[in-house]
Amino acid sequence: MGEVSEMTGENVLRAARYPFLPDAKEFISRNIDLSLESLERTGSEAALKRAVERVKDALIFKEVRVSGLNELNYVREMLSFPIAIILVSVVMNEYVRRMYALGESRGAYKRMLNESDETLLYIGEKLGVEGVLDSENTIRVRIPIYLNLAYSFHSPHWKLVNRILDNGYVLVSRSEYARLLQVEVNNYIYEKTLEPVPAGAVPESFKRAVEEIVKVWNKLEAGKPGYAPLKEREDTPPCIARIITRMENGENASHFERLVVATFMIARNRNIDEIIEFFSKQPDYKYGVTKYQVEHLAGLRGGGKKYSVPSCRTILTNGLCHPDEYCRGINHPLRYGEKNAARKPGVS
Amino acid sequence: MRRMLQESLGFLKREFFKYYYENIGRLVPPEPIRSREFGFFLEKGKGMFRHKCFNSLRDFHEFVLNEVPFDIYVSAANYEDPCNRDMSEKRLVNAELFFDIDAESVSVADSEESAWTCQKCNQYDLGFRDRCPVCGSPTEPVRLVSEKQLKEALRETEKLINVLSKDFGIALEKIHVFFSGNRGYHVHINQEDFLSIMGEGRREIVDYLLVQGLDEKELFDFLNRNVGIESVNPRGIKGRVYRRVLEMAGSMEKHKGGRSRRETVFKMLGNAVEELKVRIDPVVTIDMHRLMRMPESINSNSGMVKKRVQHGDLTFFKPLEEAVAFGEEGVSLKVRVAPRFNLGGKTFGPFKDEEVELPTYAAVYLVCKGLGEYAGR
Repeated sequence: MGEVSEMTGENVLRAARYPFLPDAKEFISRNIDLSLESLERTGSEAALKRAVERVKDALIFKEVRVSGLNELNYVREMLSFPIAIILVSVVMNEYVRRMYALGESRGAYKRMLNESDETLLYIGEKLGVEGVLDSENTIRVRIPIYLNLAYSFHSPHWKLVNRILDNGYVLVSRSEYARLLQVEVNNYIYEKTLEPVPAGAVPESFKRAVEEIVKVWNKLEAGKPGYAPLKEREDTPPCIARIITRMENGENASHFERLVVATFMIARNRNIDEIIEFFSKQPDYKYGVTKYQVEHLAGLRGGGKKYSVPSCRTILTNGLCHPDEYCRGINHPLRYGEKNAARKPGVS
Repeated sequence: MRRMLQESLGFLKREFFKYYYENIGRLVPPEPIRSREFGFFLEKGKGMFRHKCFNSLRDFHEFVLNEVPFDIYVSAANYEDPCNRDMSEKRLVNAELFFDIDAESVSVADSEESAWTCQKCNQYDLGFRDRCPVCGSPTEPVRLVSEKQLKEALRETEKLINVLSKDFGIALEKIHVFFSGNRGYHVHINQEDFLSIMGEGRREIVDYLLVQGLDEKELFDFLNRNVGIESVNPRGIKGRVYRRVLEMAGSMEKHKGGRSRRETVFKMLGNAVEELKVRIDPVVTIDMHRLMRMPESINSNSGMVKKRVQHGDLTFFKPLEEAVAFGEEGVSLKVRVAPRFNLGGKTFGPFKDEEVELPTYAAVYLVCKGLGEYAGR
């Protein structure tokens, strides 16, 4: 046996707590036969059960919880993660994919908040989100890494302009660093669930597990309009189309929903008056207030900053993601169905 | 622009060919050439010929010498399939970070330094007029960029370089500065890990440079704590803005006006931002699919070259002399109207309805600007 089996107890527990780390993968691949047939034979029932629990946790609580007891059962815990990914891929549902990635990454975030600096930086390094502890005991992250992760956050304090930059690095707090790692974990897991699993290779026990997940999901989705796999693609992504329909029916939309719709319409170059007219159906509509807010979002007031449309992640965390097949692989509503959208770039 | 006469087009093509024939070795697109999309203006007034790609530098040079394009562009992005006509099918891998700083147009009082044309009825004259005196439609001002305007753009470029190196930690040798050949400066960043920044991240960089979206509440909270300037972390644009506001507040204390505190702070903030922001064109930097003018190629809006400026030469760089691509040989030109302009270290004009003999570079310049027609050697 190689180095991994010589992992210290502490490190094995860490790998169980963060099963997306390469450590867990190496531990498994060195100690356990990972082929699907053998997984079914080698008494992986417990791991399968735990995998289903992971997905259910994600769907129901939006967070995959890992207890101390789970960690102590480290082989089962580590195994349950790749199995859960397989199950989610087999479900072939965009919403389940996104919710699972969100649930895993949220759980990991909460656990990371309690880690030592050393562990936190170790996880970051393994995820390709290297942090450096500087002489002032602050964590620094390279600007490109920061930007590719932090752009999806909407709070102003994440904007680069509000950060301290120094010689190529952004200074972040411990919890902010953990948030960045969460995004990376989310992206990593989501990508993993996009990888197709050959239908013939899926064992019976897995198929039953998938059915169980679908059942839970159907229960959660009850009363909501169904998931429409294939239809003529509209210009508007389903999340935003749904809000628009509800608003057109005079339903009161939340602040965030209004922000999504307004920024989307602005991004699609809809005329300000048209947008205000659209909002006039809202029960609490006041012309002056709406006009001010829409103009503000369009960057016509205040600092002249035009607000961008929230990313898929933000829409998902606000419980508004209802993806269809054209959402596959995109991370921003404006990219909806991008494969078909011809773009005409400019020159300088 | 008015349609150019055949003689003028022939003149430009001949001169451009001479330049490319002599200087083809200078035309080196960013590596790797195979993953870049190229675009060309092959004829005046026609659309761009794009989605072109080349397997080697040699093929590219051959194309340029055969076609003698009016303008040459290369993508900032690397693609897996650069000649695919469908933008998303090109499959973007990464893209150089790219900035454009244009000279601001200034209103000129001197009537010899400005001219106007009317697109509708073809009238024109020196001086300044909003509307055509004959047909009453709005005029097109003819403003040739001045040394002074370009100097200001260069100062702005230096500001950009400073922020890129200090805050963004980019080494000077990775920051390539170019005079665009017409109205401004281009800055290309060739730093490995910055290539991967996607569109949203580039927008953040733009907001940082233009100081957009600064958290005003945080500034107020900071000011309310009434702490001294030494407690500001001076690093980054936020630190610089805070310090500037505190400096202004310090000098303001002595003459309090009737304004509310809130208004005063906003005014100071506005002033600090105006002073500290870098005036880049946001659209250019955000668009990863953008085609950039090819370094050392001719800009057909002026007949000057997009010229690399070394960091050591920034202070004394003279764009209107150093980017001149053509010789001194005399050319006869029928000039409709041209305000006074500087080029190649000399001053020309103003001209109106006259046939003048000009050095080739100045003749090319006026023809490119649509102000004169070639009338032989």
